[in-house]
Amino acid sequence: MNIKRLLLTGVALLAAGSAGAQGVLGGHVTGNIQLDGQMSHEDTVIGADPVPEALKLNARADILYTNGDFSAGLRFEAYQTPLLGFDPQYKGQGVAHYFVAYKAKRISVTAGNFYEQFGSGMILRAYEDRYLGLDNALLGVNLQLRPVDGVTLKALAGKQRVYWEYGDGLVRGLDAEADLNSLIKSMRESKLQVSLGAGFVSKYEDDESIASSADPGQRLNLPLNVGAGAARLNLSYGHFTLQSEYARKGQDPWAGNDYIYRKGEALLVNMGYSKRGFSASLQAKHIDNMGFKSVRSQTGEMLFINYLPAINKQYTYASLTMFPYVTQVNGENGLQGEVMYRFKKGTLLGGKYGTDITLNASTIYGLDTVQVGGAGTEGYTASWFGLGEHYYTDLSLEVEKKVSKKVTLTAIYSYQEFNPAVEGEEPDLYHNHIVVGDLHWRVNKKHTLHFKAEWMGSDSFYDPAQSHTDRRAGDWIMGFVEWNIGKNWFLSASDQYAYNDGVGNYPSVTVGYTHGTTRLQVGYGKQREGLLCIGGVCRRVPASNGITFGMSTSF
Amino acid sequence: MKKILLATLGLLMAGSLMAQGAKLPDNVTLKTLDGKSVPSSVIKNDGKPVVISFWATWCGPCMLELKTIREQYDEWVEETGVKMYIVSIDDARTAARVKGVAEKQGWSDTGDDEYKHYYEVLLDSNRDFATALGIGQDPPHTFVINGDGEIVWQHKGYQPGAEEELLEQIRTLLQ
Repeated sequence: MNIKRLLLTGVALLAAGSAGAQGVLGGHVTGNIQLDGQMSHEDTVIGADPVPEALKLNARADILYTNGDFSAGLRFEAYQTPLLGFDPQYKGQGVAHYFVAYKAKRISVTAGNFYEQFGSGMILRAYEDRYLGLDNALLGVNLQLRPVDGVTLKALAGKQRVYWEYGDGLVRGLDAEADLNSLIKSMRESKLQVSLGAGFVSKYEDDESIASSADPGQRLNLPLNVGAGAARLNLSYGHFTLQSEYARKGQDPWAGNDYIYRKGEALLVNMGYSKRGFSASLQAKHIDNMGFKSVRSQTGEMLFINYLPAINKQYTYASLTMFPYVTQVNGENGLQGEVMYRFKKGTLLGGKYGTDITLNASTIYGLDTVQVGGAGTEGYTASWFGLGEHYYTDLSLEVEKKVSKKVTLTAIYSYQEFNPAVEGEEPDLYHNHIVVGDLHWRVNKKHTLHFKAEWMGSDSFYDPAQSHTDRRAGDWIMGFVEWNIGKNWFLSASDQYAYNDGVGNYPSVTVGYTHGTTRLQVGYGKQREGLLCIGGVCRRVPASNGITFGMSTSF
Repeated sequence: MKKILLATLGLLMAGSLMAQGAKLPDNVTLKTLDGKSVPSSVIKNDGKPVVISFWATWCGPCMLELKTIREQYDEWVEETGVKMYIVSIDDARTAARVKGVAEKQGWSDTGDDEYKHYYEVLLDSNRDFATALGIGQDPPHTFVINGDGEIVWQHKGYQPGAEEELLEQIRTLLQ
């Protein structure tokens, strides 16, 4: 890969851009820069790995030049040594993403790296999550046509990024979407809104030698082209909505399904009713052998062509996200329901400012399968509605109440069941009771205090002698306080402590400064892996022990 | 390599000085709450100021910001004529919640008359629009757009009180 030449091209483009911004060409340069560093010491208790290089640093700069319908961009990434939690294969630096694009009303063309999603992503989603170190951007060409209002056609072909290289598999896709209310004259004023879509994705990969399980002397007759198709329907009528997508995949033996030849299938349905002060929704999901990768020998999180979302509720509190559910691409059946209601101002339960309650329930099971063979066979049979192993349950009640002009209180109770099998560990079922209290106090115009107290009681326990090595196990108490000073500064301190049957104590302090789009942050202490929301921004962090710092700006 | 980096950095600095006045992209596809695809050129307000706020249902500070501004929004609109577009970056996992949250909170118009003015809600579930505006992955991120469709101010994150600065920025466009 000729990085130097790319960089030079990029710089030339930028130079053109900056010249343009001065009025010659009328273009603009925008983008963002982010730097995250870590000086962590080994801590065997919390699982922080040793850091022989003393300092770990991730840096990136996205630069985008836009001139009317034309745009060009590049991203420079540098992982001197990737942060803890990032795959070591990211080590290196260079231009990881570059493109030129023309986007007009009826046509868009992108050449180079691009992100894209068909429908809800069940057959194709190229996207990036920089905190998880995920990037499956395609390198190739992406064409979009909007021949008439209400119709979008997409065609693309490319290879997927994997760390600093591209996978060998070729990905090709077509998608069409029609919004009937824009398209059909008589439906323009209709209360019923209908949109339809369908997509097809095919991947091609060269043949390789993989042994059959029935006869190790025989190699599998691998399909070189694997296709996946999906159809979707979205309806909305007044307060009601229905969103649904059904996907199928052809024979696709790959490492993640142990090279079986069973076809894949998935269904995602969401129904909702909402109005002012009330909302109810129900989601159902069925997945059967729908892992779809562009390189069949790859396991892990990279090189997925599609995206199968976890439908259980995503919380922001540490105790509620301690055991996050992971989608089982090989098979699961799940249901998720949520009801939100507001007791109006001036009513008995509403009080002076109103009271909000949210009820949530989700449950997820594996498929009820019957094994019929190994690599080279159908693998298993499964019925649509059969329930196999129990993976996850969440039942929660949240009450949010503004008690005065300055104070808002939130209380949550949640009961969760979690099976570590979803993370590839030995099957088990943890039963967790969680209570969260949250208080926002706007002291005056300049100062705000935010307190959180959380408790988790669990029947899981930590004991390496009995191979119970999950450091999240046991009973926990957590405390958090944040002080916002004006609109620029914040200071926060927190502690998470396993007081019974568990291990670990995670004290930490953080100070941050935001000015416009620039943000600086320095923390000291022990950090648990997970979703962290402090000082007004949420992000994911790996386990560490020591100093962390971050800087980001956009322009 | 070092020289190239330095040159890039220099250009970036230059870029940041000039970014004021960058036009909002016209042709990025967004979705409405009804599931309809619309181009980003729908974001406009007849020559009056526009605010764009990127948020997500799982982002506490975003929810706090939008709830806080909701309480003052009718007054903001009466005073400045501003129109606020709230763009959710919820992906397939949580996108189905956006409509329920927005309607229940009184952020989008459901035909009731508790408020006079409502936010316009759009979905950017693969972050195409966010990327086109050059912003990172962490919501909230707020932009002020003038009557000519140019970005005149932006802010990252939300701390209580930041809404006052936002209102000040909208007001400066009226002078």
